[in-house]
Amino acid sequence: MTEGGSGESFEVRLVLAQKTSAKLREAIGFVIVGQNEVVDQTLWGLLAGGHVLLEGAPGLGKTLLVRTLSSCLDLKFSRIQFTPDLMPSDVTGTNILVTGADGARHFTLHKGPVFGQVILADEINRATPKTQSSLLEAMQEHACTIAGTRHAMEEPFFVLATENPIEMEGTYPLPEAQLDRFLLKVIVPSPTEDEMTEILVRTTGRERGEPPRVLSRDELMMLRALCRDVAVAEPVLRYASRFVRASDPTTPGAPELVKRALRFGAGVRGAQSLVLASKAVAMLDGRAHVSFADIQRVAKPVLRHRLIRSFEGEADGITTDQVVAGLIDSVPTRPEPVQQAMAR
Amino acid sequence: MLPAANTGSTTGFKPSFARWSRRVRARLALGHVLTGAAVGLLIGAGATAVAWKTRNGPLRPGGAVGGVLGAAVGFAVARRRRWSDPHVALYLDARLGAHETIATAVELEGQAGDDGSARAVVISQATAALAQATSKQVRAPLFTPWHAAAPIAAAAIGYLCWIPLPPAPPAAKAPPGADKVQLAQVAGLEKVIKLSELDARDESQKERLRKLAEEAKRIRAKLREGAEKREAQADIAKLRDAITSERLSLGDGEQRAGMEAALGKMAANPDLKQAEKALGDRDLVKFDEEMEKLANKLEKKDREQAKKTLEEAAEAAKKAGSPDVAKELAQQKKLMDERAKKGEMLRELAKELGEGLGEDGKDALKDFDKSGGGKEQQKLADKLDKALGKMTPEQRKQLAENLKKKMASAPEQEGTGKGPSKRELKDLADQLDTPEGQQQLEDQLKKMAEAPPPGSDEAERQKALDGAQEGAGEAEGDVGGTPMPMPVAGGKDGKDGKGGPGKDGKDGKSGPGQSGHSDGGGPGDHKGQTGVIEGGDLRAHASVKINKGKPMPGMVMGRSAGRAGDTANLVGEGGIGNAAPGEIGGIERSDVPEEYREQVGRYFQPK
Repeated sequence: MTEGGSGESFEVRLVLAQKTSAKLREAIGFVIVGQNEVVDQTLWGLLAGGHVLLEGAPGLGKTLLVRTLSSCLDLKFSRIQFTPDLMPSDVTGTNILVTGADGARHFTLHKGPVFGQVILADEINRATPKTQSSLLEAMQEHACTIAGTRHAMEEPFFVLATENPIEMEGTYPLPEAQLDRFLLKVIVPSPTEDEMTEILVRTTGRERGEPPRVLSRDELMMLRALCRDVAVAEPVLRYASRFVRASDPTTPGAPELVKRALRFGAGVRGAQSLVLASKAVAMLDGRAHVSFADIQRVAKPVLRHRLIRSFEGEADGITTDQVVAGLIDSVPTRPEPVQQAMAR
Repeated sequence: MLPAANTGSTTGFKPSFARWSRRVRARLALGHVLTGAAVGLLIGAGATAVAWKTRNGPLRPGGAVGGVLGAAVGFAVARRRRWSDPHVALYLDARLGAHETIATAVELEGQAGDDGSARAVVISQATAALAQATSKQVRAPLFTPWHAAAPIAAAAIGYLCWIPLPPAPPAAKAPPGADKVQLAQVAGLEKVIKLSELDARDESQKERLRKLAEEAKRIRAKLREGAEKREAQADIAKLRDAITSERLSLGDGEQRAGMEAALGKMAANPDLKQAEKALGDRDLVKFDEEMEKLANKLEKKDREQAKKTLEEAAEAAKKAGSPDVAKELAQQKKLMDERAKKGEMLRELAKELGEGLGEDGKDALKDFDKSGGGKEQQKLADKLDKALGKMTPEQRKQLAENLKKKMASAPEQEGTGKGPSKRELKDLADQLDTPEGQQQLEDQLKKMAEAPPPGSDEAERQKALDGAQEGAGEAEGDVGGTPMPMPVAGGKDGKDGKGGPGKDGKDGKSGPGQSGHSDGGGPGDHKGQTGVIEGGDLRAHASVKINKGKPMPGMVMGRSAGRAGDTANLVGEGGIGNAAPGEIGGIERSDVPEEYREQVGRYFQPK
């Protein structure tokens, strides 16, 4: 996306965004085999300006995906391997006493890995909540306070966290407040047979080298701005509102599945995330507006980590994805008269 | 995924959207109108069905108005529920698969923006989507299952307007007798009207007879104008009651004691037993007949004894304050000799004729000798007349000679009971001597054969009243009623079932008792009538000896007030009229077994 600039028409920029995203997918595909949905969802998070939590079994390429993505982007990449003994200062950095050339001693900030642009928080659930929370401010405020001094992050600031759902011993599950800060929670599935075969071919032969850098910081910022400019009609916004409200079991008229399986539903931040992610989807789809289908498409990754299951829901093995699917089926997209006319 | 027309102008969106939205709204409105019309027609069909059922024929087509009204209501509803632009846009998006492009465009269309914003792109894409739309794609749903009811309901209305109205429900049946009856001539009432010409016993009876005649005239006039059947029947029944009352008026009321006294005297003479019974029953015709029989049958000695008894009875009646009864008895006493003389004359003539009388004549003579009744006398007179008619002048002369010869052995005095006296035989012989005398004798015999011998004044009066009563019965039959058989004291001999007031008897039998009413075969409506029941042993009850003339001991004769709602244990309220004379003593005359009569009588005892 070398051509084009902010002075160009929306239409042209939209075309460029499509081309750029296609190139980005192609570049990631240079390393990552398959996982198209995971790649797409990660891109939604990147373009929408949110953070992404990747959850999957070890060895499915989560870390590789993030590293590949960072390689494709002309951004500063840093990786934090979360361990139980990781300290907050290990994440944020700290002031250290240094002796200057003139022999004078003074404190100098030694920035931690959080001061990157693409942050890989690997196995984030292995660190203590204290350390996990050190990442919270940075994720939410795009700033970090060290020794009383607030330090802004360099934009774009994009956190990609991974967690392993099967090794739960010695882990600290992320608190709901922190989970809410992730725009999307992407489930990384196991590769298919073909994908596995391709992975074996690629990883057991000669090194293929690094993927090309296809997106500069400015271009990414332009795409993010473009994403924000995607239009959303009021009926679509209302649908998003109805959708999120229906996920709250205390809302009158909430679906029976929600009442039975959930203890808490999504909040305002969930609705915001729903619309933002939908905008990214629309943009990547070449549209200047969001549709009901976009909302439904992003509903699972946006809401699955925001819905807190009830005891009954957990006991019955009802997943949040099932609840979201139920909401997609039960929440009407259009006003009732139009819905009735369509039904005839 | 940008449409090919993405460079199109944004100015084309508004008219394009307006055009499509008009079509969508028009079809939606039409759908509402059709729904309203269908509902209206259904209601109209119901109303038409009700109009048809209630036989309001002219209102039936009004059901179609329901369709028009329904359509109007549907149009009003369509206007009220008119879709807004976002609704239409969402509908178009869904129909065209435009991913809410049109809905977004509608929203952005009114906002300011430049080519750098999404507005232009969205509107351009929406315009392109609308440009590619076809009528078929965006056609709003028009018909619903409800609409199928419209032609059905319309057809139903048409059918209900076409078919004839249901037959009128049968009108409520008028109460029995409520129908009108109009008769130009009622022959039966004429007999009652003639009562005014009857020789009355006294002034009070004359007045009563006049009133009866007046009432008959009033009823006649009423029937000529037309009156309710039941009202006319009630009037005639009252008239009959009044006639019956008048018929039984001798020795009634204040004169009852005299009557009882006279009856007591008569009971002492065994020869007068039947006569006493007839008088007790107030059957003066029968009483007269009995007296005539006695006059013809009894020897002079017995006749004298009977005359004495009658005289004593008349005296007793007079003393007990019953001059009318005394007068009747005195007249009977006077008639007895005359009747005896006439009977002896007929017997003598018959004996002299001998074989010339023929077998029939001889039988008639035997019957006359046996009973001495008026009918037998009539029959004998007829035979004598015929026998004389057959005789030659010589034979007649010979007959006169024979009578003259018999004068020698005839008693000097008349009414001895041993045949005619010398004078009577001489008169008879003189008659037969000359042609004029013979003619005169024949005329006398003819007269005697044609009509029964004249009775007493009271008997003649009662005959007239009987005729009037029959006339009232005939009048009752003429107005359509079935006259109740009026049990009169003593009754009359049946006349082949025709003598009864009902005119419907066919098989009446001769003999004393009820008049010629029978159980069926009359012209009236016999629906509901039970069949004739073989009486068997029950006939014994019907023929038991009942004294129809004598009231029950302690009974109050005359009219007495009854009360509506009375039962055996409950005193009712309000008068229901008076007991008719014919009803008094009805228990004794009824078929109620004797062992129950006292109980039944108490129940019907007038208060």
